[in-house]
Formats: sequence, structure tokens, C-alpha cells
Amino acid sequence: MTPEPAGHAPNSFPATLGSEVARDLLYLGFQARFLEARVRDLARSEVLHADLAGFRVDPRSTVLARAMRGGTDGKGDLCHPGPLAPGPALAFGATPLEFLRHLAGKGTSSASAREGGLSWTDLRRGIIGWGAPRGGTATQVLAGAAFAFRQRGEDRAALVFERRSALQSGGWHEGVNLAGALGVPLIVVLAAPQTGDGSDHADIEAVAASYGIAFARVGRDSPERIFPTVAAARRRAVNGEGPTLIELLDAGDGNRWEHHDAFAELAVTEDGLPEQVLDAIRKAAAAGVEHAAARLAKEPGPSTRDALVPVCTDAAPHPPWTRRDPPAPDTPAPNDAMGPPHAE
Amino acid sequence: MPNDAPAQVTRTRSGRPVTVLEAISEALWEEMERDERVFLMGEDIGAYGGAFKVTRGFLDRFGPSRVIDTPISEGGFTGAAAGAAHMGLRPVVEMQFMDFISPAYDVLTNYIATSLYRGAGPMPLVVRGPVGGGNRGGPFHSQNVEMAFFHTPGLKIVYPSNPRDAKGLLKSSIRDDNPVIFEEHKGLYRAPHCREVLPSEDYVIPLGSARTALEGEDLTIVTYGLMVHRSLEAAAELARDGIRAEVVDLRTLLPLDEEAIADSLKKTGKLLIVHEDTRTGGIAGEIAIRMNERAFEWLDGPILRVTAIDSPVPFSGELEDYFLPGVGDVVTAARYLVGY
Repeated sequence: MTPEPAGHAPNSFPATLGSEVARDLLYLGFQARFLEARVRDLARSEVLHADLAGFRVDPRSTVLARAMRGGTDGKGDLCHPGPLAPGPALAFGATPLEFLRHLAGKGTSSASAREGGLSWTDLRRGIIGWGAPRGGTATQVLAGAAFAFRQRGEDRAALVFERRSALQSGGWHEGVNLAGALGVPLIVVLAAPQTGDGSDHADIEAVAASYGIAFARVGRDSPERIFPTVAAARRRAVNGEGPTLIELLDAGDGNRWEHHDAFAELAVTEDGLPEQVLDAIRKAAAAGVEHAAARLAKEPGPSTRDALVPVCTDAAPHPPWTRRDPPAPDTPAPNDAMGPPHAE
Repeated sequence: MPNDAPAQVTRTRSGRPVTVLEAISEALWEEMERDERVFLMGEDIGAYGGAFKVTRGFLDRFGPSRVIDTPISEGGFTGAAAGAAHMGLRPVVEMQFMDFISPAYDVLTNYIATSLYRGAGPMPLVVRGPVGGGNRGGPFHSQNVEMAFFHTPGLKIVYPSNPRDAKGLLKSSIRDDNPVIFEEHKGLYRAPHCREVLPSEDYVIPLGSARTALEGEDLTIVTYGLMVHRSLEAAAELARDGIRAEVVDLRTLLPLDEEAIADSLKKTGKLLIVHEDTRTGGIAGEIAIRMNERAFEWLDGPILRVTAIDSPVPFSGELEDYFLPGVGDVVTAARYLVGY
């Protein structure tokens, strides 16, 4: 068996966007792009659900997460990546194979296929995935997690990345209001309008002001603009200056930065990144994704026993048939400790 | 315990009897003293001490970081409690009235209850608050909410009937690694007949364990909360006619102690279920099918139930008294069953 290529190792939080961050972002960006393509292929070939034929990665989510402090021990920052963004999970150290296992509902996935698809929670890696049918729940949950960070005086912050449509949900406003009232280290990022986002006309800056929290807007920009904005919000958060609401405007091209060319070019020209290094980064990212895709078909599916794990830490699950023996009026009931029925 | 502790949490220490409300206050106070991860969230629980004053004086002792006055947004702060629980804290959320838990239904059933199962880890949080009718509160301040959540795997539901159980069960709930909905009948909060002296030492009562409130041989009455007291009154009346009813207090509805119910049923052969909640979809139906599954051969008559009628809780006293199950209803049903 070919060993799985090492995932991206989370780095320490950098103060500025330097070459190390640039290389990370390049790697993660390429990885997300290759992963997107492979997921679409696997969906078309019915290895993954057909609905995933239109799978998209919003690479901005990768940049957002990279600006946070990742970890693999449950002590890093926390991120809610939105339902269509594996980017943060990858930026926080997950491998493409782990992501595909989860997406495909394999028995080897982190939740043994009891949860799958595009909602992925891995608290060790600081990922809290989509977990409720309406927008806003994640903002509430992450606000509470951020409260816990502050309560314990930890150098941690939480980031929630949702579509602008969250604005239409009362739950989102409850979460942001609570975060503002408690002044917790939370960064709330709302992405540009996308399909199905309805027709709200809210001025997000005014929304932030109404909740008494800081605001920042990132326009049609490349990663080098998003990264420092989030990094600054994180500094504010862990310094006890409260939450920040960040509006991400549409970056064009469906927010996909289809080829990363602009950023790659920037890295090569301004940071002096040699072309061959860029090529090596691209190949390393591709290798990880290709390994994952090839490996996926060999991963075992879940056992029905996996469905019968306790729903509470101390609950015994039961199989569908509730009578342990066929009913027989003349015989004692199963597990009878009282002797034969006194009705006889 | 500090000398300036509020009066409602010091009665057991001085050997005096406590009400259900004081028992709940003592449980919260002692758990917060014992475990710094425990904190409270709710509307007006800090400076005001809570609508029923359960948390009076807590803000002074534990400060605003552990006694949090929240915005009026039950969904929002219950969701935040989930996030804090993810990160290892043990939140206790107060619903000012449990009727107001409905805005948090989404996060409780979709997010919190599923956490462990979908790989997001344990969810140690308690949502507690007053329930029940008889106080002329009308449709929005009188409901029993257990069956709105009973159907959701992953939750636990506790509903005590007396101070001793209230304190021991709440402590267990706070120490439990699973989400617990803890219902407190407001008609019992300050009921004089419920006062009792509690053990001075730390104690817990395990969740999922019913108790026999009264032993008998002629029929089993399974009930919980305020209806335990109604059923005991009914049992006293029945006893005057020589009918000896056994009263089983469930204490925890989820997980349901069906072993205790079955054991009693096997002894009496007759089962009457009494709950204050409305009839359709009430817990009586679930208990009936479980006894059908595991003790059918011991039944000497139909399983009956006495419940509130299927309607919103009416405001008028006359209407509410008719709506709620009373002692006479229990006696009538019990007589019918015994004579079957």
C-alpha cells in the first residue's frame, strides 16, 4: 500500500503574509482545486453521490482558515467552514483522503458514516461543520465556543464562515447579538451572494454597527487581502476586543480563482518564489489528492453495527425488533424474573 | 460555603427543610462550587435572580462570567451553550418558562441531540425551567414540554416530584455527559407539603431510575411530577375502600425505567398511567406499548390513562381545573380498572 502523503502541517500563526504563508496558501489552494475536480469526477462515475457532480470549493475558506491558528490536538482555533467548503479542514491539517472518506460515508470516516456528505465535525482539528437545517446555528454554537475560550483565558478564537443568506435567518442575528453582548473572540464572515441567497438588501456594515461589533469588508481581492483582514480580526479577538463581522464581496469567477494564476504569479514575482518551487507545490498537492481518490474505492463501507452506537454516552441501542422472542402466551416473557404470569 | 450565601441555598446546611425550589438552588450552587466548568445562562437570572428567584444571589458569588444574563433569544443562547459544551464547559441553561423552549427546538433536536452520534463528541448541558399548569398562566406559561423532546434520540428528560429528587437528579444531570432537559413543576416550587430535610452530604440520584412512592398490590399507577401527589391523594382515597394502589414515580422520562414499571405491573396486573401533559402522543402511549411488548401476559385488564385533555392550557381557572387531571379522575379510573 502506498502510504498516504503527509497532509498540510498547520503552522504557527504568522503576523504578516510572508513567503511561508504564501507557500501554504498555494499548496492549499492547489489541493482544494484538485480535490474539487476529483470529487466531480467521482460523482460522475457514481463513486460519490451524483449531487456532487457540481461540487465546488470556495478557496476563500482556505485562506480564512489559514489566517487562524490551526491545530490537531483540540487546542487550536475553531472554524465553521460552511456547507460547501472543505478548505478549512484542509488548512487545519486534514488530508484529502479523510475528507473523501467522510464525503463518501465510508466506514473508515471519522464518524463511521453516521454523518457524512458536506457536514464534517472534527473537534481535534477545530472544525465544526454544518449541523442544522437553517443558517445561524453555527454562529450561535461558535459564539458559545468562543465564550469558553475567553472564560479559560485561552489564546484561541472562533471563525464562522457563512453565506450572506444567513442574514435572512433569525438564528444568525441571535448568535451575533449574543456574541456582541458577551464580547467573545468570534469572527463572523459572510460571503458574497450566491445562488439561492434570496433577495436581502441589508447593509452588513450597518448590521455590525447595530450589534456593536467591528466590521471589515474585503472586495474583489486575492488571498493577500483576505488573509491580513482575518488575521487582524483574530488579533482583536484574542486581545479581548470582541467579535468582528467581515463581509467578503464576490471575487468573480464564482469565487473559485480557477487557476490560482494571479496569486501564483504574485508569489513568484513579489516573493521571489522560483518557478520550480511553484511547480513542486502544485505536484505535491496533486499527489495527495490523486492518492486519496485512488484509495477511496478500497475503503470499506460501514457496517450496520455502526448504526447502533449509543446516542447517549450510557445508552444501550436497540435493534428494530423490540420483542426478543416470539410472543407465546403460555410461556414466561423474556427475561422474566417474576415467574410465570399470575394471570394463568 | 461563604457566610453571605443567599438564604435559599443554606437551609440544608442548617438542618432545615427545603422546598423544591430551594433544593434546585442548592443543587446549582453546590455544583458551581464543586466544578468551575459549570456556569448558568438565561434571561434575568443574574441581577434579578431569575423569574422564580432560583438563582438569587448567584451573581454576587460567581460573577457575570458564570451567571450570564442573556438576550431574550432562547435559540441563540441554547446554541451558544452547545458551543461551550463542545469546548468542555458544563452550561446550565434556564428557560424562564419552559414554554419558551420552542425557539430552541431546532438546535436542541438537530444539533445538540445528535452531537455524540455524528462524531462531534459528548454534549454536557442542562436545559432547565418551570413547567406545568394550575397557576392560571394560560397557554404560554403552563405547558409540559416533555413529549416535544421525548421522541428525539440523544436527549435525556428529567421531571422530579419532590425536593430530595430534584436536588439529586439535578446534580446528576449537571454531571452527565449528555444533554438533559430538566422540568420543574412550578406548582411544586414552594408547595408547603413538599418541604423536607435533605441529606447534608453530597448525593446524586442516577438518571433513568424510577422510585416506588407507595407500595400496593391491586393496581399500579405510573406517574411523575405534580401528578405523583395527585396520585398519592387518590391512593389514599382508594385505600379507604380497601384498594391498595402502588404509585411509581418515574423521575426520569428519558431514559424510561421500564424495568420498574414492568416489575410493578407483574405484581398488580393492572396499569394506570397518569400525566399532566395532554393525551395524544403523551408518554402513556409509549409506556403502554412497552408493557405490551414485555409484560403482556401479566395484564389483567386494559392499560388506562388519566391525562389533560387535548387542548391548549386554558387561562380561566374554571377551564384550567377542568382541563387538568384531578384526584377524582384518578380515583374513577382506578376503580374501573380494579373492577375489570
